[in-house]
Amino acid sequence: MLRTVYLKSIRDRWLGASIAVGSLFLVAWMGLWAYADSDDAVGEYMASLPDAYTSLLGVPQDSGTAGLMLANMFNFLGPFVLCGIAVSMGAQAFAGEERDGTMNLLATVPRSRSRLLASKTLAATTIIVAASVLSFASYVLAAAISGSDAGSLNLAAAAVHLGAVTLAYGAFALAVGALTGNRGLASGAGTGLIVVSFLASGLLPMIEGWAGIAKIFPWYYIGGAQPLINGVNWTQVVVLVAIAGALAGLAWWGVNHRDLRSADTSGSLLDRLRDNPYLERSLALLAGSGSSRGLVSKALSDSRAVLTIAAGGLFMVLVMQGLMFPTIQDSLGGLVEALPEAMMAMVGFADFTTATGWYFGEGLSITAPIAVAVVAIGAGAALAGEEKRRTVSVVLGTPTSRARFAWSKAAAMAVGSVIVGAAVAAGIAVGNLIVGLGLDYGNILAAGALTAGLGAVLGGAAFFAGALTGRSVIATGFGTGVAVLGWGINAFIPVNPDLASWAKVSPFYYYATPNPLEAGLTLSHLGVLLGVAAVLVAAGVLAYGRRDLNG
Amino acid sequence: MTTTPVIEVDHLTKLFGNFTAVDDVSLAIEQGEIFGFLGPNGAGKSTTIRAILDLIRPTSGTCRVLGLDSRKDAVEIRRSLGFLPSDLALYPNLTGKQTLQYLANLRGGIDWAWVDTLTARFDADLSKKVGELSSGNRQKVGLIQAFMHRPRVVILDEPITGLDPLVQLEFHNLMREHVGEGNTVFLSSHTLSEVERVADRVGFIRRGHLIAVEAMADLQDKALRRITLEFPEPVPAGDFQGIEGVHEVSAEGASVTAQYEGSMAPLLKAATAHGVLSVSSATVDLDEMFLEFYRDEVEASGEAEQGSAA
Repeated sequence: MLRTVYLKSIRDRWLGASIAVGSLFLVAWMGLWAYADSDDAVGEYMASLPDAYTSLLGVPQDSGTAGLMLANMFNFLGPFVLCGIAVSMGAQAFAGEERDGTMNLLATVPRSRSRLLASKTLAATTIIVAASVLSFASYVLAAAISGSDAGSLNLAAAAVHLGAVTLAYGAFALAVGALTGNRGLASGAGTGLIVVSFLASGLLPMIEGWAGIAKIFPWYYIGGAQPLINGVNWTQVVVLVAIAGALAGLAWWGVNHRDLRSADTSGSLLDRLRDNPYLERSLALLAGSGSSRGLVSKALSDSRAVLTIAAGGLFMVLVMQGLMFPTIQDSLGGLVEALPEAMMAMVGFADFTTATGWYFGEGLSITAPIAVAVVAIGAGAALAGEEKRRTVSVVLGTPTSRARFAWSKAAAMAVGSVIVGAAVAAGIAVGNLIVGLGLDYGNILAAGALTAGLGAVLGGAAFFAGALTGRSVIATGFGTGVAVLGWGINAFIPVNPDLASWAKVSPFYYYATPNPLEAGLTLSHLGVLLGVAAVLVAAGVLAYGRRDLNG
Repeated sequence: MTTTPVIEVDHLTKLFGNFTAVDDVSLAIEQGEIFGFLGPNGAGKSTTIRAILDLIRPTSGTCRVLGLDSRKDAVEIRRSLGFLPSDLALYPNLTGKQTLQYLANLRGGIDWAWVDTLTARFDADLSKKVGELSSGNRQKVGLIQAFMHRPRVVILDEPITGLDPLVQLEFHNLMREHVGEGNTVFLSSHTLSEVERVADRVGFIRRGHLIAVEAMADLQDKALRRITLEFPEPVPAGDFQGIEGVHEVSAEGASVTAQYEGSMAPLLKAATAHGVLSVSSATVDLDEMFLEFYRDEVEASGEAEQGSAA
């Protein structure tokens, strides 16, 4: 172990991880506070439910509404944040230094690659474990200060499971990065595995006979054994940690058996696919050749890869969800009918018995916002990215005004959001057509338009922060912060009727209320989204014209 | 014939927080000249250039290019201007050709035959992705984009970084041709030999202060030369001080080194009297020349270290 390498890795990462844990705490506290004030009747009602129902939700009966909130933190929001950190650190650990070209320096010090890898791996493990422990502690704190009673919930056990799963994802990204030296590939593969696992472990168990397949995905083990109720399942945890260890071993083998890369010469995944003569033609069609045509098309082609994956993936997921609906409807029908309306709204899988509710709960409330956020925030932060990479000097050496340059980046962000919105509409429309769900096509279009509007707000936030500061990290962080907090506010605040109107500060409120698949387009809500986005972009362009550029 | 300078920097001051990067710099560059902007790292060369380009805004003072204000008319100025930033960064995922196409589309009206000529002259490979190029080959792409629209004004910030000597030569020829056609080049560099070779006038900047601007020809006329004299036995340096034209003398053992301007005769007369054995002579380089001529200004700018002052 190399102490300096270890400490530097920790130093590079602790702030980001702390902010993430802090956000988790805020969301948990906000939710618990809203739930705590809400009607006792809900708690009483929960207590009266048969065992089977509450265990389906993953919470014991006596934990009440606070249990629902905490189960959400452990099974959904928390894992996404922690696993995201783990993948990012795992991918950066070895391959990141190669991408930055700093490996050329590190590799010339008289220390072995193995020790370098070990130090970086240990640093990542430290951060992951610390983040898991701290987020667990913050939930306990949130429950205490909001006066919630977590009942017999075994929070510590859930934290142990979550930590083990997080380690597995981090080790996966580490192994891919160490084997290939390609940071982009490592973080892409890690993120892809998270998304696929999340969808698979959520959807597969609902289909009769397919539940077993979900068990090959790490995500399943976050809540699969219901640690909140049953405590730690040590077999699962030990197996997960062993898998993480094996992946770290693979990483060790990888770094010792290949040439190290130097700086950013790897080329994108798309480029490598394009080198394959069989794929060349179709990919050229897909990608287009206009990367150097002008400011907007260049900006769009920069986010082409993420746009292709996000919009294409979203389209396929939505079509599949349509195909799955008839099966789900049969298996959930009886359960849902037994629950009252208010209860359903809170649980979030409100009316899975109707096609509109199913698409809303599974597609529009989680998957579509994530996809459009990733595309729009990335494109919004690209203006600051040109300063970080110092390419802005060359571009603004041409007779292009700063305002035109900034507007072009904003336009590309808007186009990206519209493309994801179109993918939402197309995916639901195709699912609707194949299965004959009877959804209204105008309403489907409305859902697409609102998705694009949400993207424009989130991308606009990133754009504004980037234009103001010139720092892409701040741009991405601000955009993501608005997305996570906005989602949390809209998801949890409305549970308490006294606070419900506060949800209107969140862009997600205008996106998701009322369900566009049922109510169609609420024109004023789309207007709010587009108006806020326009103000953010205009303010960003103004700020961009008034300061010194970096680089 | 207009008398408006092509580039005019007027009492430019730029502060970054408390740090004064450029302090009250004024200079004027005339049409048809290569102006060398010389100074050590961190002297304020790039800050001055970035203010002229409107990438950063002056704390006080103004810059004008072709009579246009650098802030108000930034876009108009850039139509007739080519710029190569220091530490050039390009898009790693574009090929050289795509990079030039992108920038050409932003400019409009590029003569591609001329681009091909430039490419051939620099022996540049435009088919590879910029991210795969060595820094020298990437710099060639940067030079081509700076000259591709035959700009009336070219501003180059450390242009020869990474270039091999043959390409440097070709680049210097190109600069000469370019000003020969009535255009103007502003060349920032810390490479003395480059500035000495091509510049018509030289500005010397240290710690944000413009110390002096001199015509290259004048500098060479009053150029200091250095002479080293070998004697059969040690001679005190004081014996040569005060001799007409002699600036600085130091003695080490039996050899004496002196800097002088004008005729060598009075110095040789004194040397002969001591039975000099051998004489070797060399020209002092630009930097030492500046330090010698502008010692007071350099010291006033806060320069502490003085290598030659013994």
